[in-house]
Formats: sequence, structure tokens, C-alpha cells
Amino acid sequence: MKVLGTLVVLLFGGLLIYGTLDFPSWGDPAAPASTHVSPRYIERTLEETSVPNIVTAVLADYRGYDTMFETIVIFTAGIACLFLLRVIKREEAEARMYRHIPTGITLRVKQRARLPESMEEFERIDLMWVPYDLIVKTGCRLIIPFSQLFALYVIAHGHHSPGGGFQGGVILGASIALYAISTNLRSGLAWFGEKAAVLLCGLGVFIYASTGALCMLLGAGYLDYGALSTLFGVDPVTARSHGILIVEIGVGISVMAVMVLLYYNIVSAGRQDEGL
Amino acid sequence: MINWLSAILVIGGLIFFFGGSIGIIRFPDFYSRLHPAGKLDTAGQLFTMSGIALYIAQDASLHTFLTAAKIVLIVIFIYITSPTATHAIIDAGVRAGLKPWTKEGQS
Repeated sequence: MKVLGTLVVLLFGGLLIYGTLDFPSWGDPAAPASTHVSPRYIERTLEETSVPNIVTAVLADYRGYDTMFETIVIFTAGIACLFLLRVIKREEAEARMYRHIPTGITLRVKQRARLPESMEEFERIDLMWVPYDLIVKTGCRLIIPFSQLFALYVIAHGHHSPGGGFQGGVILGASIALYAISTNLRSGLAWFGEKAAVLLCGLGVFIYASTGALCMLLGAGYLDYGALSTLFGVDPVTARSHGILIVEIGVGISVMAVMVLLYYNIVSAGRQDEGL
Repeated sequence: MINWLSAILVIGGLIFFFGGSIGIIRFPDFYSRLHPAGKLDTAGQLFTMSGIALYIAQDASLHTFLTAAKIVLIVIFIYITSPTATHAIIDAGVRAGLKPWTKEGQS
């Protein structure tokens, strides 16, 4: 069986390499890719979409379907990881640790033990607790607002400079993960909960798809942003640029939520009670 | 004149980077390797970036001034993040129980 598998892999690998022989050489000006679509994108992007960044225009406008399904792939991956990793059944851990805040005494409370009525003086800590590091905490607190601001800039400025929804979404998700790292998982969940993450994950895809559907309702093709001109009250070319921005915001929301979901599920082995 | 100054600053920064790269390879253990990785990179980028900022800002206009200000922001953010990251890594090493290298122990 192993020999057969190796043979199949080698055969298909050989076929694929044989197939690349027919490719045009790299950067060939006579290749089909550089004779039909590329010159059109390079020459007409600015007058058709008023977006200076050709990459963004191709990504979100000319090939809008491609990017929409890319976003759906990310959404599906996030949901699949949630189903694979998340432990739905709540198995109580054998013990919990509480710290008495005024004195710093740590208590280990066994499962199903009776807790005092007022827990205000106690904070729950992880079983594998390490003291919160002041330097890491302060550094993260300094960095998180700026990284979120930068992420919003990357999403909103994708028209004019490198960037866009995917990159900005990852930076946003990283800032939330950074907060969870610098404190603990429960603080991260209290700030950006799992339900919010799942909802936003779907909301991003919804924004993208419904923008396309809105264009259809206004009488143009799916994802033909020029039709949004009546809605925004601008000429169709500027409306394309606005449509790209809306779509990028949807992508950013979806990517951020998926990143946060992946982080929560991986660090806590799907239980989402204790972790980094 | 300013061209020369910025060239000297950039070359000085590259010397720091070079020393850092050698240190990462040549030092004996985890903690001592993080020393050049954390310190010399931070110092090197300070000199390189200030050299570049000086070079850009020599023809004074609002545009070049803004670009130089952005470079200074990069320096500030690396000064916050790089030592924090090095500290967190070393802290994790100490908590995981890694013993520092000594000449007698040879481990």
C-alpha cells in the first residue's frame, strides 16, 4: 500500500512538473496573461474605478467574486476549526484557583465545593498561573490602541497604499490576542466574547454578499458597484471606489473574528475557560 | 554635509546589526543569545532610521517632515515592543526552569 501511494504521488508530481513545461516563461510579454487583462487593468483602472492602487481594484472590483469566495473560505475555515476544537460539553476542571486580592493568598477550591456568597474580594486565576508581568502588561497596553488604529488605517486606506481588509483584519485580531496574552483568556473573552466573534465572522461575509445583492436590486450585475451611485449620490466611478471600501470593511470584520476564534480555541484546547 | 552625517549614521547602525548577527550565532546559550538579539537590533534600528530620517528631512517641506516624523514613530514603537518581547521570552525561559550557561557547568 505504501509503495502504491508513493507511486501515485510520484506519477502525479511528474505530471504536474511536465505540465509546467508548457507555461510561458516568467515575465514573457507575449504570454496570454500580459496581453489581454493586464494592460487593461494598468491603463483603465484609474478612470474606471478612481482607485490608484491597481491591486485593490483588481482584488475587490474586477475579481470581486474571487475575493468574496476567498472570504467565505476564511469564514468556513474558522467555523470548521470551531467545530473541531470546541468542547461543547462543560466538564468541570478538578479544581479552581482563586486569589484573595487584598492579601494575595491563593486558594485551591475543589470541584463542587461550596463557594462563599460574596466573591468580590477574590479573583479567579488559572491552574497554571504565572504572576502577571508588569512590563508585558504595560507594553501591551501601550501598543494595543495604536495597533488597532493602524489596522483601521490599513483597512480604510487600501485604495491608496498596500493594505486592505485581509491585512487590517489580521492586525485587529492580533491586537485582541495580545490583550488576552498580556492578561488572561477570561479577560480577553470578557472584552471580545465568543458569541460576538462568531456573529462578526458571519456579519463580514454578509456585508460583502449583500453589497453585491444591493447592486443587483439597483439594476446592475452582482457586485457591480457602479449601481450604488444613486445611493451615495455620486458619479458611478466614485461609487465603485466606495463599494470597494464597504467590501473591504466586510472582509476585515470577518478575518478579525476568525483570527480571534482560532486564538481562543487553540490556547485553551477548546474549553475556553483557562489558557494563556 | 547632511548626506555624510546620514551615511555615517546608517553605517553605524549596520555595524550594530552586524554585531548582533554575530552574537546570535556565537554566544553559548539561550539567554546570552537573546542579549544581542534584543539590544543590538534596537540600537541598530535607532541609528539606521535616524540616518534615513535626516536624509529625507534635509530639503525642508511639510511632506518630507511628515515622512521623517513617521520614521521617528517607527523608532519609538520598536523601542517599546522589542525590549518587551525580549523580556517576555527571557521571563518564560526562567519560569520554564532553564539554567543559564556557566563555564564550569558546560551545559
